[in-house]
Amino acid sequence: MSAVTDSVFKKSAVVRAARATRVKIIVGAVLTLIVVVPIVLARVLPVPDPNAQDVFLRLAAPGTEGHLFGTDQLGRDLFSRILYGGQVSLLIGVMAVLVSGVLGVVLGSLAGYYGGKVDAVISRLIEAQLSLPLLMMLLLVVALFGSSIPVIAFVIAIANWPEPARLTRAMVLVEREKPYVAAAVVLGVKRFAILLKHVIPNVISQAVVLALLLLAQAVLLESALSFLGAGPQRPFATWGRIISDGQDFIGSAWWIVTIPGLVIAFLVIGVNLIGDGLQQGSVGAAFRRLARSVTAMPGRK
Amino acid sequence: MFRYLALRIAQAILTIFVTVTIVFLLIRLAPGDPAYAYAGPLATAEQLDAVRRQFGLDQPLIVQYFHFLGGIFQGDTGTSYSFRQPALSVVMDRLPYTITLAIAAIVIAIIISIPLGVWMARRQNTGREATASILTIAGQSMPDFWIGIMLVTLFSVLLPWFPSSGFETWGGLVLPALTVAILQVAVLSRIVRREVAQTLQAPFITVARSRGVAGAGLVWGYGVRNSLVPVVTALGTRFAGLLNGVVVVEVVFGWPGIGSLVVRALETRDYPLIQSTVVVTAILAVLVQLVVDLVYPLLDPRVRLGRKVVS
Repeated sequence: MSAVTDSVFKKSAVVRAARATRVKIIVGAVLTLIVVVPIVLARVLPVPDPNAQDVFLRLAAPGTEGHLFGTDQLGRDLFSRILYGGQVSLLIGVMAVLVSGVLGVVLGSLAGYYGGKVDAVISRLIEAQLSLPLLMMLLLVVALFGSSIPVIAFVIAIANWPEPARLTRAMVLVEREKPYVAAAVVLGVKRFAILLKHVIPNVISQAVVLALLLLAQAVLLESALSFLGAGPQRPFATWGRIISDGQDFIGSAWWIVTIPGLVIAFLVIGVNLIGDGLQQGSVGAAFRRLARSVTAMPGRK
Repeated sequence: MFRYLALRIAQAILTIFVTVTIVFLLIRLAPGDPAYAYAGPLATAEQLDAVRRQFGLDQPLIVQYFHFLGGIFQGDTGTSYSFRQPALSVVMDRLPYTITLAIAAIVIAIIISIPLGVWMARRQNTGREATASILTIAGQSMPDFWIGIMLVTLFSVLLPWFPSSGFETWGGLVLPALTVAILQVAVLSRIVRREVAQTLQAPFITVARSRGVAGAGLVWGYGVRNSLVPVVTALGTRFAGLLNGVVVVEVVFGWPGIGSLVVRALETRDYPLIQSTVVVTAILAVLVQLVVDLVYPLLDPRVRLGRKVVS
């Protein structure tokens, strides 16, 4: 019989760390789905029109007459407004993540792979941007170019590109020293083709995990812009503006501010937990393998 | 040393220069006529022309650009449309309030996050550490303006302990500073945990332990002392993010700083004012980062300025 019994094994740090990772991913997934599924299904769910006003039912408490989360200062159904606002937030978030992800991976891999002057310029750019309080600049852009959904998504993408760029650069730096790159060079594959077909597919899965964390950042930034009055304009109900408008009623109707904030927190905590869990631990490794096999597919002949 | 200093200062100037150039290009690229924005919707064609001549908008772009750069060197970033006075002086009047709030938030963040991070580093992979870790993720995940409103509701509406807005008494500083600090605590404590946990694995810790150094003396004197460089780096790079938080939180608390100023400028489309805050905050953030970089040798004598710090 081994001296290492099952109970001793279960107490070991590695096992506990693995379990913590699993718990994080499961809790994160549950929180995310609780928020995302109703948002996606908003059109088929039996909820009132988000802009339908009912002057006789203003500031109704949650649960009155079929209003799950109550109504706001104009008698509009808060649940429905949060769902439709979530569609705008998620749309902007996904657009922003796609743009910043592509921009970050492209610039990061160019910097890491070519090094030298290319790297110097891109790295300085990343450093410069990270050292600047960007929110002011984003507000200026929105003030100048209008607060349409594409402008806001683009602005958020610009704010977020340094993270994937830094990560991709660091990974490409490691990857380009590996024997398969040297082999490809010897075989006469062009440098750019090596980067595109061989190096990037090997680093992309990590960037996919990072995209989750970027989505969380994008949702937070969009809500902050909306709160400051630089979000998508009416008729869109956005989470930031629901909170901003509800501030004046915090004494009499706590739900208008509290519930949308909780929804944002649930979503962002959920996405952050999944991302955090995937970055470490064995489940994360399995996911990265899966992501690699999926993303490597189109390159195969 | 001097070479490094010169290089760092050159880099800081370059960052500010790029920022200023981007601001200039954005304003010129944007749809809409700045003369129209200044003169208002009732202006005649002659008045618009006069305004254009007054601000040099009829000159070639490159001339305008050098005018703009030259103006910034002389502290002239345009005239605020809504205040009808130099935009820079409007911003400078408000800046001390923003800096006060930022410093208060940093102090709170340091006081809480370093002990918290050390505590987490010493209890890695325990149930309590996992709980603390999830709490720090939650702290990073809540919108800061929402935390602010919740704190106001709790501590000035339900329990009338602190004023809900403005800066008449020092009590007014508590809630906004706390709101800004929460996100920073969440981020910083995780960095402290990671760095301290890594340092505690190092061989010199084992050596110190074998010489009889134990407990708090070991953790703080050896572990934390040798983790300070990355933590201070993080503080420097987080400063820009902190200023972003300050902008949003100022609006919640009606704080008389540049954050609430810029949001008002946004409503009135006061471009020179927004542009001035962009430039001023960029300079502020770059200066802070420069100071942080120059502090390293005090924390770790092995760091010689000018050589690459291996992070």
